[in-house]
Parts: sequence; C-alpha cells; structure tokens
Amino acid sequence: MKQPFFLLVGLAGGLALTPAPASAQNSPNPRAAGPNVTLSGYLKDAATGEALIGASVFVKSLGVGATANEYGFYSLTLPKGRYVVTYTYVGSAPREETLDLTTSQTLSVKLAAKGVETGEVVVTGRAPDQNVRSTETGVARLDARQVKMVPALLGEADVVRTIQLLPGVSTVGEGATGFNVRGGGVDQNLILMDEAPVYNSSHLFGLFSVFNPDAVKDLKLVKGGIPAAYGGRLSSLLDIRMKDGNSQRLGVNGGVGIVSSRLAVEAPIVKDKGSFIVAGRRSYADLFLKFNPDQKDNQAYFYDFSAKANYTLGERDRVYLSGYFGRDVFKFGDLFENSWGNKTGTLRWNHVFNSRLFMNVTALASRYDYGLGVPTGTQGFEWTSNITDYSAKADFEFFRNPNSTLHFGGSSIFYTFEPGHVVPTQATSIFRELRLQQQQATEWAAYLDEERSFGPAFSVQYGLRATMFENTSAGTFYDYTGELGKQLSPVNPQTYGRSHRLASYPNLEPRLSARYALSESGSIKASYHRMVQYIHLISNTTAATPLDVWLPSTRNVRPEHADQVTLGYFRNFQHNAYEASLEVFGKKMDNQIDYINGANTLLNQNLEAELLYGRGRAYGAELYVKKNEGRFTGWLSYTLSRSERQIDGINQNKWYANKYDKTHVLALVGSYAVSDRLSLSSTFNYSTGVATTVPDSRFVYQGLVVPNVNGDVRNNYRVPAYHRLDLAATLKNKLHPERRWQGSWTFSIYNVYGRRNAFGLYFRQNEDHPTQTEAVRLSIFGTVLPSATYNFTF
Amino acid sequence: MTRFLLFLALCLAAFGLSSCLDVVNIDVPEAKPLLAVDGHITDQGTPAFVSLSLTQAYFNDTPPPPVRGATLSLVDDQGNSDVLREVSPGQYLGSGSVRGRIGGQYTLTMVVDGQTYRAATEIRRTPRIDSISLEYKPKQTGYDEGYYALYNGPELPGVGDYYRFMVYKNGALFNQPDDLIVSSDELVDGRYIGGVELNDDPLVSGDRIKVEMLSIPRDYYYFLNEMTAQINNVGLFATSPANVRTNIINTQTGSDKTAVGYFAGYTVRADSVVVR
Repeated sequence: MKQPFFLLVGLAGGLALTPAPASAQNSPNPRAAGPNVTLSGYLKDAATGEALIGASVFVKSLGVGATANEYGFYSLTLPKGRYVVTYTYVGSAPREETLDLTTSQTLSVKLAAKGVETGEVVVTGRAPDQNVRSTETGVARLDARQVKMVPALLGEADVVRTIQLLPGVSTVGEGATGFNVRGGGVDQNLILMDEAPVYNSSHLFGLFSVFNPDAVKDLKLVKGGIPAAYGGRLSSLLDIRMKDGNSQRLGVNGGVGIVSSRLAVEAPIVKDKGSFIVAGRRSYADLFLKFNPDQKDNQAYFYDFSAKANYTLGERDRVYLSGYFGRDVFKFGDLFENSWGNKTGTLRWNHVFNSRLFMNVTALASRYDYGLGVPTGTQGFEWTSNITDYSAKADFEFFRNPNSTLHFGGSSIFYTFEPGHVVPTQATSIFRELRLQQQQATEWAAYLDEERSFGPAFSVQYGLRATMFENTSAGTFYDYTGELGKQLSPVNPQTYGRSHRLASYPNLEPRLSARYALSESGSIKASYHRMVQYIHLISNTTAATPLDVWLPSTRNVRPEHADQVTLGYFRNFQHNAYEASLEVFGKKMDNQIDYINGANTLLNQNLEAELLYGRGRAYGAELYVKKNEGRFTGWLSYTLSRSERQIDGINQNKWYANKYDKTHVLALVGSYAVSDRLSLSSTFNYSTGVATTVPDSRFVYQGLVVPNVNGDVRNNYRVPAYHRLDLAATLKNKLHPERRWQGSWTFSIYNVYGRRNAFGLYFRQNEDHPTQTEAVRLSIFGTVLPSATYNFTF
Repeated sequence: MTRFLLFLALCLAAFGLSSCLDVVNIDVPEAKPLLAVDGHITDQGTPAFVSLSLTQAYFNDTPPPPVRGATLSLVDDQGNSDVLREVSPGQYLGSGSVRGRIGGQYTLTMVVDGQTYRAATEIRRTPRIDSISLEYKPKQTGYDEGYYALYNGPELPGVGDYYRFMVYKNGALFNQPDDLIVSSDELVDGRYIGGVELNDDPLVSGDRIKVEMLSIPRDYYYFLNEMTAQINNVGLFATSPANVRTNIINTQTGSDKTAVGYFAGYTVRADSVVVR
C-alpha cells in the first residue's frame, strides 16, 4: 500500500521543479521582498456576526492568500506596500479593501450576504475554489442550508442523513445509527460537536441524528489526509461547529413538523462583543398516545437542547461556552423503561498572542449513558451504563509567513467506562446487584504540522502526531485461551491496584498531504495518513444499538491502526460553477474486532472471551460532481469500493466482506429554484445490498427448526439492492419588507415509489406451519412517507 | 438480556413507524447433508435417548431423513457402559445400564457412515420448585385480563447454574420459537425466584399449567441461548444468521463431515397448577 504512495510523492516533487504554470509566473516571491508586515483579524458575517470559517483573504498582485480558521481568525504576512485585498466567502459578496501596509495591522471584516438570490444554495467550499487550491483530500463541507435543502425523512432535516449522500459515505441500512466512511465501522468516525466527542449520534435508534440543524453552523467531514491535530478514530473526522449566536440583533427561528418541533433563539449579549444561542427540539408523537386509553401510560419521545455563548474580552481574547443535552425516552407502563442520551460541555478560550500566533485552549466533558429496566415488581431492576470523558487541549496556529503555517498542540483525555451495572429496584426482586469491571484510561497526544507552499503550484501539509494510551483500571483481569472462533476461557487472573498500568500503548502517526496545481482550476493531490484508535464500540448487530458499550484497549484488545493513501484529481469548470473530483483510496487496518458466532456483548463479565481480532482492508474510487450556481444546483456522488476483513476463527480464516461493504453507492441531489418563493428538490439513492449470512441447510432440534450454514462461512450473500427517490417543495410566504416574520412550508415525500428496501434477510419457521421455513425481508419503511413542515424566522 | 432489544424494536411502533416484514423467495446455496443429533440423558431414571437425522436444504420442509444403522454407545464416569438400540428409524434408546444421576459425566460415541463422533455432557445440581401459584391481573399495559401462573422456588447460592423452563398448558408444550426460555443465574444468584410469569395469554377456568425446570450444563445453556437468538432473529437489532454451537465432535479433526445438534444431560423438576 505504501509503495505507490512514495512513488506518487516523488512524482509530485518532480513536477514541482518544472516551471510553474503561466498564470503564476509573474508573481514576485513574497519572501524575497523587504521587511514584512502582518495583516490579521476576524472575518464575520455582516448580518449575524457569525465567524466565517474558511473564508479567504487574497492579495491578487502577489498571488498569496490565507484562510480563516474555525474561529474566523486569519493572518497574512506580506512585504510592506500598498495592496488591494479581497475577502471572499461563498454566499457573500466579495469585498475589496485597498490598504497601505507599512506596519502590522488588525482588520476585522464583515462580509454581507449576496442579495437574496432565488433559491440560491451554497454548495460546499468556502472560498469558491477551495477544493482545488487546498491540500485537503477527501474533505466535504456542508452548511446548515444544504442540510435543510435535501428532502428529509418525515420533514426532519438531518445532518447524518445528508452526510450519507456524500462520496465514500454509506450506511448499513435505513434507520441504522451513524455512518460508514471508506469501508470503516460506525465507531471509527470521530464526531466532534464544538470539539466535544459525541459517542452516539442517533435519536430513535438511528432514524434521526442528535444534531439540531438550527444550531449547526458548519460541518466538515474529512475522510483522507486527516491533519495531525486530530486523531483517535480510524476512518474520518466529522467536525460540527455550532452557531455562535447573532451578535447584531435578536433572531428567532423554528419549525413545526410532524415528528418534532424546533425553536432557536439567538441574541447579542453586548452588541459586537458577545452573543448567545439556545436551541431545542422535542418529538411529540407520544402526546397522541394520551388519547388512546390502552397507550396512555406509555411514553416515547426524544429531545435535545443546545446552548452556546461567546464573549470578547478584549482585542486579543474571546471565550466560548457551549453545551448539549439530548435524550430518548421510552416507557411501557410499569413494564419496561429505557432512555439514553449524550451530554457535552465545552469551554474555549481564544487568545491572539500577536498577529501571527493564535491559540485556542479547550476544556470539555462528554458523556453517553443509558438506563434500562423494569421499575417495579418481582422482576424489577435498573441497568445503567456510560462512557465519560474529560479532556483538556491547547492548539496553536503560527502564521510564519504566507508560505508556511504551523499547527501544534497537545491534549489529554481521561476516560471512565462503566459497561454495565444492574441493581434490583426492590427487596423482593429476583435480581441481585451485578457490576461489570469498570475501567479508566488516559489518552495523550502531541502534534506538530506545517502547511507549506513551494510557489503557487505545489504545496504540502505534513505533520506528526504522537499518542499514548494508558489503561489504568484497577481490578481483576484475565488472559483468554482456547480454540479461535469458539468462546474462550479466562485464565491467569491478575489483580491490579490503581497505580498499576494495565496496558500502555505509544504510537506515532505521520500525516502528509500534497497538492500540485495543473492550472488555475485543476490540481492533483495525494495524501497518506496513519490513524490509531484506542477505544472500540462493541456491537455485534447489523446496526449499532443504543445499548452497545465502548471498550478501551486492554491487555487483550489492542489499539486499531489504519494506513490510508488517497490520490485525487480536482477540477472546477466555468469559474467554479461546477466542481468535480475523482479520488481513489486504499486502506489497511489491523486489530479489527469481530465476534464469535452468537457472541453476547451485553452485561458479559467475560466479554473478551467472545472477541476476535484481525486485519481489514478497504479500497475504492469516488466521483463527485457538483453544480454550485444558478437556478439548478446539486451534486452527484458515486463510490465504487470494497471493504473486507480476515480474522482467524471466522470464515475458515479467509477474507470476507464487512457487513457494511457496498460495491456501488450512488447519490443524486438536485434543487431547482422555480421562482423567488418556490423551490423544488429531489434526491435519488442507489446502493448495493449489504453483506449477510444466509443458511444453506436446517435441522430440527426438539421440534424447532434451526438454520445452519455448512463450513460456518460468514457474509456469503447480499441483501437486495437499495434504491429510493425523495421529493420536496419549499414555498416561502410573500416577502413583506416591513415585516420581519418569514415563514415557509416544506412538503416532502420520502420513498416516492414506496419501495420495500430490505434492511436485512432473516430466516424463521412459519408461525402456522412450524415445519415450513421461510426467508423474511425486513423493511424499515415499507411505504411512501409524506410530510409537511412549517418553518419560520424573525 | 438481548431480549430487551426486541422490546426496543417495539418502541418504534409507538412512533407509528412500524417496519414491515414480508416473506420473500431467495435462492440459497446447496449444501451437503450433515449428521444432526438430538439426544439427552436425565436424572429421571429413564435410559439415554438419541435421535439421529440429516440436515436438509433450508427450504425443504419434508421430515428430516433419519440416520439408520448407526452404532451408539454411552459410558459414564463410574465405568458403566450402555449400547443404544435403534427402536424406530433413527431413534436410539439405551438399555438402562447407564443411568443419569446428579454429578454424573457421560460420553456418547456414535459411528455413522464410517465416521466416529463423540459428545460429552454432565448432569448438574438442581434446585427445587416450591410451587406454581396463580395471580389474577386486571387489564393493564402488557396484560389481558385473567389468570397467570407464577413460578416460585429458590436459586442455589454460587454462580454457574443454568436453567431451561418448559411450560405445558393442558398437556401441550409451548414450543413456538419464542417459547424457548433459558436462563443463567448470573443476575439472580442465590435469590428467591418468586412471581415469575409462565404464560403470555391469560388462563381460563379448568386450564392446567405444568412447568418443567431443567438444570442444564453451561455449554448446553449457550447452545440453547444461541438457538433462541437464531430462531427469533428478526428486526432492527438482529444479527446476521450464524451457526449455533454443538458438542458433537468428529474424532477425525479437520474432517468436513461435521455434525450439528446436541447430546445433553440435565435434571428435571416439575410442578403444576389447575385454574379452578
């Protein structure tokens, strides 16, 4: 895997020595001119004061520029002189400033949104040609407007469902938790919400994601060439940034849909100095249960609440406080109850040491927990489980000169794992207390990374991340022995105190991305990264469940490693009106976890007896074509890929397809602005069915028919292909310039032709004729699902 | 505990999002038939009994072909041995020279079609059943109005006991796939097991409920537990179909003539109640 990569880097290096393209030939080398000055500041949206992540600053006469970071800060070092500086952000009118730069200057710029062009939709990329110019490979950006444009299931605009329409991203099935990136598992995505990791991204078992689109400003999915600042998961980084809140005026927006209602309020704390946003939503299908006497004691709902505030303490300092709280609750009278959810809290401090050195310090906490039980009676019990982390990190950006930016920093994460704790709810309960081994661990990281350009044509970003994982759990731990593929036996018990390290794993993770510009509008890029993952989601079902537990690396469970190379060709057409890219990737993974047949992953004191470890590999090609401008916008994404694993003890030790392997995944997304008030959108999905095991034979045991597959092979079959068409229409009310209230109706139809897409194939006895066996197809939605949502803002 | 996942799937129905299941035709691969074993020895004083048949294509619903003319012998840990005689096609019964007793260990050897298979099992300690009682429940969430039979009895102190409960109504065993119930004492060790319902649908006057409590070996518990998962394996949180374990081992390691099924030792304790 690595060999072609080095060949590629050598090739790119060779190209860099050839003369730069004509368009850049006249550019003076900015490093060669006299003493330098630095232009720095923040880029903000004029209407809301929101930081414009990824907006660009460009000095045309020099051919140099900079990009605003996650907090809207930019820094550009130039020779003294008089320049026309252009500030650009997709969706905003470019702004030009003529500046006499004799000393370093701070200039914060507000960019105004373009005149409300009909149905204007921003498609990914902040600077319009960012995709071609940056060294990033495998990156997709979305903003809340795009998430809302896509026809939504039951009218609920959804972040994760939108991500699933991007190349290289798939899901094991409709309503499955999370998403799979480039042949990786759902637990191999680092999902950050305002820097806090989110351990379960789903409401309602996976139908909806936990992120309220009204509170989301920007999201970025990185599948390849992940920068050294991030680590901890093998497949991808999903970086979700919440809105800062309107620092100019009070703003309210919300919506009423058939599943949930939303409301978000944002306002300045002190105009231009600080602002806040609170946003919440709750589903209310269960309220209708109250009208049914049989159902009145039942509950089923989810809610989430996010809040964020920021305040500028001075020219150099700004603090942000953000929090998220979400929960799903189910209750069947006194028979059964279950709830789960995430909580996160993030406190951040931005400090500008000088115009070239920016720092962000973060302290955060994140917790996922669930509870399950029978509240009363002789079978009363309560079962709880959680994963909690406390993290601290510091990240620095040093804008050395226009050709070099350094990123460096460090972090530590302290985890506690409570895999399961059962207590009886009353004295006469048949249950006793049972607590599985709790674990503690710390993950340390330090990194250094440089973005460097060698002239306009060639640039690289390279870095190194050093990480260390220490499992410091106290308790009794075992080794496991036996025949691979069968349940193992615990042997050699060893008891450790708190000061002892149960396991300690250091790792070095090199990262490298390179870009070579072929022209103004085309480039080739290559990247390599090594990722290490120390915590693992233990899930043996087709789709992850809310009850799955995270397990740290232990003496037996080793950290997972992935090496990935990506090669891509990026090309924009018609002045960035169209973007296109073709990427190929290859990935090798080790210490992948799989399970023996019939593994029991819940409340199992000897969980490691049911785990098997082995190799994984994934490779594929991704095509992406987008239209960014005009009445018609949208994208096409197509992925051809394969994801397999080889684990001793499974499938006769031969390679087999991962459960989330899909050969073809196609998504078409289109939106058409019919008039100022009416826009139509549509998506079409097609994907190969997921891999599953089907029995080839059966036997009868005490009157019950048991399926069997000879040779104990795994994933020998494909469920039927998945395809679906969705439509939506959004009608805005008439614009009244004197009225601030703006409303719009969105009508959508999900699964227009009512296809019964198979989530899985299962095998059972016929209920009425027990000797007959049948294959059944489970469809999560077997029908057309129409919906209507009213959205408003004022 | 995975049964709770079934509960969770029910939750979706509360959102009006009931998923749909329909029977589909699929082509499954052809497979060579394998030996399938269903045998037991209990502490009830009856000789060991073993039924041998062949696996058949998954959608073949004819009676499984019996395996005739096999040679079956059984030995225990006290040096007793027995030869099982074919009493009807594929059905083999011991003479009684090996009897099941608590604490006993048993090895069954089967010679079938030139292959030798071996299965080992044991009979473990057992608690008693105190009583089967009746409770009247009014209509409420999860229950229809009527009588429910409840199990009452102690669980033995010390983790490592496993049970199967077989429930008969008016002499007929509840034997749908979801009636196969096995339990481990991990969560209930040494507790008094009182008030555990035995029937889903309410009983009417004259109904007789009988329960057999089987104390089963650990490995057999896992066999039945895996079987439960496979024969009730539908839904959002299902796993891909996978083979259940077996204790029938071909003595020639590496042979592709493997076997399926189980030869199990267990105790049987029974009690019953009649609704007046």
